[in-house]
Amino acid sequence: MELFLNAFALAFTPMSIAAIGLGALVGLIFGSIPGLTFTVALALALPISFNLDAVPAIGLLLGTYIGGMTGGSVSAILLGIPGTPSAAATVLDGYPMTKRGDASIALGTAVIVSVFGGLFSLAIMIVSVDLVSKVAIGFGPAEIFALVLFGFSTICGLCGNSLIKGLVAGVLGLMVMTIGLDAIEGVPRMTFGSVNMMQGVNLLVALIGLFAVPFIIEAFSEDRTKSGRMKKMVSVRPELPPFGLLFRNIWLMIRSSLIGTGIGAIPGTGGAIASFLAYDNAKRFSRKPETFGKGNIEGVIAPEAANNAVTGGTLIPLLSLGIPGDPATAIVLAGMMIHGLVPGPALFMNHATEVYGIYIAVIIAYVWVLGLQLLGIRVFVHVLRVPREILAVIVLVLCAIGAYSIRNSEFDIYAMAIIGVAAYLLVAVRIPITPIILGMVLGPNLENEFRTAMMLSEGKLDIFYTSPTVIIFLSLAALVIIFQSLSELKMKRKEKQKVNFSDA
Amino acid sequence: MTDHARNYVVGLLLLTLSVVWTWLVIVTIPAGFGDGDIGPRAFPLMFGLCLGFLSVILLLKSLMNRQKVETARSLATEDQLIIHWLPSALLLIELLGYGYLLKTVGFVISTPILVVFVMFINLRVRSVKMFLGMSIGITLVCWLVFEKVLGIYLANGWLINIG
Repeated sequence: MELFLNAFALAFTPMSIAAIGLGALVGLIFGSIPGLTFTVALALALPISFNLDAVPAIGLLLGTYIGGMTGGSVSAILLGIPGTPSAAATVLDGYPMTKRGDASIALGTAVIVSVFGGLFSLAIMIVSVDLVSKVAIGFGPAEIFALVLFGFSTICGLCGNSLIKGLVAGVLGLMVMTIGLDAIEGVPRMTFGSVNMMQGVNLLVALIGLFAVPFIIEAFSEDRTKSGRMKKMVSVRPELPPFGLLFRNIWLMIRSSLIGTGIGAIPGTGGAIASFLAYDNAKRFSRKPETFGKGNIEGVIAPEAANNAVTGGTLIPLLSLGIPGDPATAIVLAGMMIHGLVPGPALFMNHATEVYGIYIAVIIAYVWVLGLQLLGIRVFVHVLRVPREILAVIVLVLCAIGAYSIRNSEFDIYAMAIIGVAAYLLVAVRIPITPIILGMVLGPNLENEFRTAMMLSEGKLDIFYTSPTVIIFLSLAALVIIFQSLSELKMKRKEKQKVNFSDA
Repeated sequence: MTDHARNYVVGLLLLTLSVVWTWLVIVTIPAGFGDGDIGPRAFPLMFGLCLGFLSVILLLKSLMNRQKVETARSLATEDQLIIHWLPSALLLIELLGYGYLLKTVGFVISTPILVVFVMFINLRVRSVKMFLGMSIGITLVCWLVFEKVLGIYLANGWLINIG
């Protein structure tokens, strides 16, 4: 009890609250601008944390991380361009809601379920840090490969009308991500001798291209000769989601948060995989799966709860074993070590007060995020009052800055342009975009983990069928594919019957 | 163009892509050494072959389904299948040009040029006030927020270096 009181005293100093708030605000800004990742925000925040005490310093970093993760949904919902890869799944239903005039409900729901997901995962982390870290650390390359393959099987549910076209899209995404230096042996692949091509296609650059460029082309293609002047994006109703809506979806929020926490606890996975798995899970168990992709609020709740639950999940291996799950948590780890908090079992014995202080800092960060976002919704939705064409010009410049600033390379602007125009053409010929993103997100992990597993087993495939975890994930993947194929066959049969009936 | 004809063309293009890709992979990427090293070639090769296989299925399906199920869907959505070639090509040129200008004359000069060009060509705006307001406004706000407040590097040109 005394430890908790001391931790409260550490976390509730004005400096600590202000540092966490500053982190949350900066994270929100960076997260909501496509191309500016919260990892960049964390890198900028790290030097500021040197002059602070341990809890405010880690609070600043965690606030930035949490704010960034939540902020990705703002541009995903308002513009259909995900601010972070973790928010890519939120676009699928968030943006259709904006087009319908429900932007503020989508934004409000996203922030509330994000806070729920984050706090839920924190609670799970506190209760089960030992157990979960033991299970998660048992995940070797073979297990992560099987998990990624399971994640990839969700492509079947995101294919739209044609399974073949969805699979084509998935393979295209996988192919794009093999361009550049091979991560394991450093061999250049499809680079044609170009130094710029060696760095490969950055995932964020590809995401900006996939989502922003088609939006800009559509806006520039509008016929203004009829109306004679520019139109607003959509009409906006600034209202918050009703409590009943959230209460009805509480089970979905819990399920998605569990998925996010579990995925977050496995190093090398991340928010994008969690949000797509949660989205697929929500669609599969929804009463109205046919409304997904058309503005179903469940399609916002699931990915947002899951990607924020990842924040708590990643803290499990970070605090208990000192293993960062992604580049962002690696910076948090650096911040902790600079302040003398060396992660591992000894951390909980030697610095228990600081650890509890960090837990409280996470709660404060979520309170800040909730407050800032709920207050900000009224401001954010004004973006939609700007004429669509003018907004497209601003988005064009912001996306170019975002793409450039990732690696300070104009090559990324070229890549964004080419991928974006290709995406526009693919959409026009009815090839869905979502499986391309899934291919891009999962492709590098799929290849690297498989190759590492094969190296470890010296070429023997038994590494994939002797581990129960691998067998479970592979079976789940097979089940998803079988069910999806059966449901597609059923749908085709129904359509055939309809055609025959109308012919008769 | 009907849906099956479109699928046929898409299938052919994808098949061509897969053949070219697979050939390039075989010619340019070395294979693994065995004993667990499957090498950097295996995955790109497998993806190329998968694409080929899927595009053949797409081709066969489009040939077999000529007047059946797809007709109903395509009739309902025909109006959404317009490709705006000119705006797409223009945007591609503008972004490629912007990338080149960024490294040559830097952010502060290239951004107003892009904004004015886009507004003049794509949006057919002819108001000088709009040109000035948008080009100077966007450049100034972005430069202040990103370069000065957030400390994010915006390109400086090798030819002209401002900002």
